[in-house]
Amino acid sequence: MSKIEIQNLTVEYTDKNRRFTALKDVSFSVESGEFVSVIGSSGCGKSTLLSILEGINSPAEGTILIDGKPISGTGTDRGVVFQHYSLFPWMTARKNIAFGIKQVKKEISKAHRLKLADEYLEKVGLGEFKNQYPSQLSGGMQQRVAIARALAMDTDILLMDEPFGAIDAKNRTILQELLLKLWEGDGVQEKKTVVFVTHDIDEAILLSDRIIMMSASPGRVYKEISVPFERPRNRSDLVQTRDYSKFRNELLSLFYGDIMDKIGGSEVVL
Amino acid sequence: MTARKRFLRWIHLLFLLFLLIQLLPDQVANETYAAYAIWFGVGVEVLVLFVSALVKKQEGLNLFLDIVGFLYGLLILWILATAKFNLLSEVLFPPPGRVFEQFVRDFHKIVVNIKSSVGIILQGYVLATIIAIPLGLFLGWSARLGNAATYISKFLGSIPPIVYIPYGIALLPTFRSVSVFVIFLAAFWPILASTMSGVLNVEQRIIDSAKVLNVKKFTMLFSVILPAAIPQIFIGCNQGLSVSFILLTSAEMIGARDGMGYYVKQYSDFGDYTRTIVGLLVIGVVVVGISFLFNKLQRYLLRWRR
Repeated sequence: MSKIEIQNLTVEYTDKNRRFTALKDVSFSVESGEFVSVIGSSGCGKSTLLSILEGINSPAEGTILIDGKPISGTGTDRGVVFQHYSLFPWMTARKNIAFGIKQVKKEISKAHRLKLADEYLEKVGLGEFKNQYPSQLSGGMQQRVAIARALAMDTDILLMDEPFGAIDAKNRTILQELLLKLWEGDGVQEKKTVVFVTHDIDEAILLSDRIIMMSASPGRVYKEISVPFERPRNRSDLVQTRDYSKFRNELLSLFYGDIMDKIGGSEVVL
Repeated sequence: MTARKRFLRWIHLLFLLFLLIQLLPDQVANETYAAYAIWFGVGVEVLVLFVSALVKKQEGLNLFLDIVGFLYGLLILWILATAKFNLLSEVLFPPPGRVFEQFVRDFHKIVVNIKSSVGIILQGYVLATIIAIPLGLFLGWSARLGNAATYISKFLGSIPPIVYIPYGIALLPTFRSVSVFVIFLAAFWPILASTMSGVLNVEQRIIDSAKVLNVKKFTMLFSVILPAAIPQIFIGCNQGLSVSFILLTSAEMIGARDGMGYYVKQYSDFGDYTRTIVGLLVIGVVVVGISFLFNKLQRYLLRWRR
């Protein structure tokens, strides 16, 4: 049984009396401990898909099964990191994390929650910023706290919606490597199941076991590709290999192939 | 010489000038209270020395010294125009020494009156806050009720609370309870309105990120929506507070038997303008003091904002 099974998902929006199909008959599954990226150009419905998984929106048709059970609404089995910085501005970094832990594990004492929060802040390299408010942290630091919060909640599933989309290039690569390190872990703990939405092909290759490529209007699954590279991965080693450039080019041609299908086929030269 | 020292010297010169003026002969008959003005000036000077030794921040200190400078300037002009050159009507403009002396003599009475006034403000205002904020949270969160409530509170809130006084006197047993009721109304509507609009304006991303953390309804309202709306809520609280002061003192001038408004009204009716001025100054000091504490609270609660 797959960890997550998405079956025939269709999502429609009504916008000023105009019906708009965001997702059409989307189906795929994610195995336990698998890191899956969903990529596609803007407007392909990848964020809509994730909002359904989060439980913030509900689909017109179709179901999502987690561990074989259909979901309705949000759940304590899923942790979320958004693209926009989603910390509570009136809580310090550690209080934000402790608050997240409290919502999933009521039985943990307050002192223990704060201790756990501090540990996770250490893990993302923000130990000395634990008593700072989000407004005192940079965007990248806020996103580290958000990741720490999602990890500290210790849910089976992590849903990440372009978490590094608003961060500058240098910090983005640092955060990607941090996420990779934290997800791969020490090899003892069971890996989390991750669904990661991005529009960055290199990010998807570096991080994922499998890439789901989506196409737009209406949003649907266009291709599923397994990423053939061994783990643990190292960016600088990986990008130098010929296999990497070959794989990346294949992905790019698939990506643009989809666009060419849309706008008139092979006559268009990019 | 540092800027700090220069500032200090300037203030000390003003203080010296203030003392020198006391040497001029009095033009006003029976001016036996000049000592009170001198003691007041000396008290301020001691305060200046004390504060400038304690406060390290240059900006805050400069502000304090500037204000003290104005105070000395005003005192000097006041003394010159009254006690020393008798330029103004002695009945309408008593010299400062007499005002300070009256303050000291009436101190006990004034404390009783302040207690009465502040007690009424606190009761009405706190009652309004603890009802209006939870109600506003609930109404703002419930989209349908909130819409109707916005219109209703706009209508009811637009009635100036002071016009409730005659009706309140008919309804309620004591003048005090009428005052509390009027203060309650004065604070209630702005706080309710600002709480509702605060709730409606909480950013969607805050609500979404609380939702995905699986917060329960109660936590959502009181641990997420409430703190997110607090900046807006404070706008209504500020408004309610300043209206409360205006209303209370005017209400006390109509029918009360104590309170600072009553003190001012009673003595000006008797033509005792020394005490009228004492009352005005005391009201000013009390209002500034309460606003200061209120601002401290606001700063503390909103310390997370840049």
